[in-house]
Amino acid sequence: MRLTTCRLLVLLAAACAAPGQTRYDLLLKNGHVLDPANRIDGVMDVAIAAGKIARVEADIPAAQARKVVDVKGLYVTPGLVDLHAHVFGYSGSIFPDDSALTACTTTVVDAGGSGWRTFDEMRKRIILPSRTRVLALLNIVGHGMVGQKFEDDTADMDPQKTAAKIVENRDYIVGIKTAHFGGDGWTAIDRAIEAGKLSKTPVMVDDKIFTNTGRTSREKLLDKMRPGDIHTHMYNDRQLELLDRFNGKVQPYMLEARRRGVLFDLGHGAGSFLWPVATKAMAQGFAPDTISTDLHSSSIMTVESDMPNCISKMMNLGMSLPDAIVRSTVHPAKSISRFPQLGTLSAGQVADVAVLRLRSGVFAYKDAWQKKFLGTKRLECALTVRGGQTVFDRDGRGYPEWTKAGEYEVFR
Amino acid sequence: MKRAAAGLLLFMLAAPAPAQEIYELLLKGGHVVDPKNRRNERLDIAVSAGKIRKIARGIPAAHGRRVVDVSDYYVTPGLIDIHAHFDAHGDPHSLNPDHNALRNGVTTAVDAGSSGWKTFEAFKSNVIDHASTRVLAFVNIVGGGMSGIDNEQDPGAMDPEAAARIARKYPETIVGIKTAHFQPATWDAVDRAVKAAELSKTIVMVDFQPKPGRGYRELILEHLRPGDIHTHVYGRVTPQLDERKVVRDYMWEARKRGVLFDVGHGAGSLWFRIAAPAVKQGFLPDTISTDIHKRSIMISRATMTNVMSKFLAMGMTLEQVIERSTINPARAIQRAELGSLEEGGVADIAVLEVRTGDFAFLDSGRAKLTAGKEIRCVLTVRNGQVVWDSEGLSVADWRDTGAYTNFK
Repeated sequence: MRLTTCRLLVLLAAACAAPGQTRYDLLLKNGHVLDPANRIDGVMDVAIAAGKIARVEADIPAAQARKVVDVKGLYVTPGLVDLHAHVFGYSGSIFPDDSALTACTTTVVDAGGSGWRTFDEMRKRIILPSRTRVLALLNIVGHGMVGQKFEDDTADMDPQKTAAKIVENRDYIVGIKTAHFGGDGWTAIDRAIEAGKLSKTPVMVDDKIFTNTGRTSREKLLDKMRPGDIHTHMYNDRQLELLDRFNGKVQPYMLEARRRGVLFDLGHGAGSFLWPVATKAMAQGFAPDTISTDLHSSSIMTVESDMPNCISKMMNLGMSLPDAIVRSTVHPAKSISRFPQLGTLSAGQVADVAVLRLRSGVFAYKDAWQKKFLGTKRLECALTVRGGQTVFDRDGRGYPEWTKAGEYEVFR
Repeated sequence: MKRAAAGLLLFMLAAPAPAQEIYELLLKGGHVVDPKNRRNERLDIAVSAGKIRKIARGIPAAHGRRVVDVSDYYVTPGLIDIHAHFDAHGDPHSLNPDHNALRNGVTTAVDAGSSGWKTFEAFKSNVIDHASTRVLAFVNIVGGGMSGIDNEQDPGAMDPEAAARIARKYPETIVGIKTAHFQPATWDAVDRAVKAAELSKTIVMVDFQPKPGRGYRELILEHLRPGDIHTHVYGRVTPQLDERKVVRDYMWEARKRGVLFDVGHGAGSLWFRIAAPAVKQGFLPDTISTDIHKRSIMISRATMTNVMSKFLAMGMTLEQVIERSTINPARAIQRAELGSLEEGGVADIAVLEVRTGDFAFLDSGRAKLTAGKEIRCVLTVRNGQVVWDSEGLSVADWRDTGAYTNFK
């Protein structure tokens, strides 16, 4: 005989009201809620119904929910938003669900994998089949991020066609990316910004500024980029010179660009986070506006740069957990005009929720050159809710002990 | 003549002793568990040029260019997962091999029929040839592989000769034939897979759903040969236990015949309510494997070290778990050399931590097994290279490395 979920919950002595009296599908109980947009920082319950956040309050009765998960001792935050990941086009791109959802990341923004010519394929092959919410920054290169030859081809950088594609697909495309341009001059950046103006979206620009290309970081940040445009790979130091090489200070033009509203994104990746840069910058308070991973094949394998790893690194450099959460939820959502739909636990918004554990101990963190930093904090993903559904549950908190479940079938 | 001999003798006496070898990588102080060689003790392992050069106590740290202290961990042969889905190019459910294998200590993964005899070559050129993981394959008896359950039902697409031909063409990569997901109540799929295996002198791995007239008992006692594998042994569709939860006689009989029973965890095929009683009665899996794919990796977390942890939690010893994740699967796929640590053998090594604390694991029904231990992989060596190092054991602290430069 098959038991209903409700009867099993009764057997398990968990809360279960008669059908009809339950208002909520899922209740995350007793967690420490960090919802910066709503100034919540304390132990509260989060109730979810029909895929949306229903209520965030202390002591919501367990009887009002069909399923109750005790998350005592854990932090409950909006689902993390990774502003810079690679899930299409780029040779190192990854399938998002197994990497993002298991890392409490419910939204990833693909940073330029597709261009206007290839976005439709990305929508079909990656965006629609993924449980992760996948958004996109469209590459100014029509073919997308498919190799240096293509990415240097200024003839394939068409602001009108790029903007038109964005306007047609505002449900998924949130801005423009320009990266890896190895040619001379400003064509790639100018056309990306032109497309950004035409479509009223931000442009994310990488740090590839070689002195022999007639470009400087200073001009890029002060003369080219608009408020709201995003400079990624901020703690790389290959060409960027975030820090003055002689005195270790953050360059004045970096500070000036930030004052004007240019956003600085972490974009960790396999090449863009260096301890000597990050430690000095953080000591001077030059923190990333948005914490992001640049997640791709080699960054996963070598430096594990998923969102909890990147957040942990910032915390070990002195950032508080609430501050790190702002920069992993509210800020990235705002930067792509998806706030407050994303990045909050406000009632009525989609129920994308991260449940995180903060461990203490000694943990090694590697940078892009595979040098380690020993820290004492580690943030880990314990449970992920995407659109109201539990998609990852590290400790099985939402499920019953098998020894008490009889001839069980699949628990939902 | 005599003088020449004397000269030679003098020369030999004067010749220096063979030079002490300098090792590229030295794993020091780890607790080695190598069931094939009955090693279960602290030993050092020296590696150079992709090979294990020496396994001994007290290899001097001074003899290694890179010395890694693994004294807090277990050191085992690289894990072998004989049921994975890594045709990330051709199969919509498959995952990337390196991310999912190497990070979990798996150095050899066998794709279980994601590709068929028609699509294997694309799988090889698009995935296998580029992976750092050693990816081997069971080719599906269905020409198109696992392209969707509806496409896997037509016996007309199951060609034993064609499957055997491709298996014989790539003997270094193809270890056998897979059949799965076949719904009609006939023996077509199983028998054709066995036929292909006979023709190619390989084995079959079978995913099986009993139907009227197509019973599980007949499968394991009559249709499968010694050495063939039934995967998903603790799934809920095959009758392994009687109503009192006792392992049925034919399970033991099939095992005596030499049929192998594989875990193949997957999204639907590990149930604690079946596996725990079976393990308790001594019906252990011959091989521990994941059936890892896009769905099984999520809630039930079917990664190799997690599946191993689940069997550890069900009462198997660490040595039993490792045996069934190294030498047993190696022998099952007729690659015995891959499942142990041998001087002169390929340097595929896993460094595992057995954490203690409060852990919980979910099965395919999402029922929970709480446990005091968890196995996780902290470092993986594949072909002599450190390809995974979660604790940074093999790298320097940034403060000690001087100026950072792009020069490598």
